[in-house]
Amino acid sequence: MSADATKELDLEHGPTDEELVAETLKGNLGSYDELIRRFQARLYGVIYHLTSNHDDTNDMLMEVFDKAYRSLPTFRGQSSFYTWIYRIAINRTFNFLDKRKRRQGAMSLNEINEEGLPKFDFPDPIQRNNPSKSSMLNELQNKLNESMLQLSKEHRTVVTLFDIQGLAHAEIAKIMGCTEGTVRSRLHYAHKQLQKSLGIYLRR
Amino acid sequence: MSQPEDFQSLQKLLQLKRLETPGQEYFERFVDAFHRYQRQEILREEPWYAKIVDVLFEPWVAGIPRLATVGGAMACLMAGMALMFGPIGASSIQLTDGKVTHARGVMVASGQNQDSARIQPELIDTAAGGEVTEIRPLYVNGRGAVAYDSQLAF
Repeated sequence: MSADATKELDLEHGPTDEELVAETLKGNLGSYDELIRRFQARLYGVIYHLTSNHDDTNDMLMEVFDKAYRSLPTFRGQSSFYTWIYRIAINRTFNFLDKRKRRQGAMSLNEINEEGLPKFDFPDPIQRNNPSKSSMLNELQNKLNESMLQLSKEHRTVVTLFDIQGLAHAEIAKIMGCTEGTVRSRLHYAHKQLQKSLGIYLRR
Repeated sequence: MSQPEDFQSLQKLLQLKRLETPGQEYFERFVDAFHRYQRQEILREEPWYAKIVDVLFEPWVAGIPRLATVGGAMACLMAGMALMFGPIGASSIQLTDGKVTHARGVMVASGQNQDSARIQPELIDTAAGGEVTEIRPLYVNGRGAVAYDSQLAF
């Protein structure tokens, strides 16, 4: 590929994460804003599926980007920025979950009521055109969240990263600092648990 | 239903969770909200003990388990207390003029009847060649005795 063609490709795809990190470290704060835009939705998803609470997720997401910004000078590029920031998000969420568990005691399923669970933000057409479908999906969502909360935080994380976010086993292993075998075994166990608790819904 | 079919249904079900998102508007405003958050964080001064509390109560700090962190902190605290409140008798020598010298300084008033906070005038005269010098006490022990830096006193 010619140099011009490569340059054109770069312009089309924009700078890489690592280039944006370098620019941020030079003092170009707009580059960090771009990194936030790239990762905000994905990190929101990870934190949310671990905490099951939108307010906590919002607070945690701010903390994660703030912590990452302050720690950026220590980022040596040994792993990709993508892995690094995911790791920060997961570690901080784990700490938050441990604190919440100590504060409230282990959450019992009997204590979970419908008001305490997050709601689907269904696209408008579903809400308007098919209210009964929307209600059924809400019931399903409640049961799904209950089942997710029954899993340990490590099992919930692999389910979130693999089944919901679609990451590969190798990527998950890097993020969680374990082997691919551990990821596969955690997934297998988590799926078994979910199949057990969601059995009725899976056979409908 | 067979196990593989069950698994496929489960994956479809889990993908429904992708819909649990705050919507595009939230993400469009997020960067601005983050800037406001950062400004607030800079303005909010964290009390000095907050860091210690964080270290003691975070379950894992830089990969070290909490028990070791707490143990290490306790050991530091006890060593500090031993240094601060440890007995001074062993290395101190009683002088003829009533003062007591000590490895860490000069004790000006050691008896219960004496005013422990008053510095004897001759010490001030001799300090730093007679010039006006501020002599700061190093520590006060349990018996009310005050020790001063021997380098300033002599």
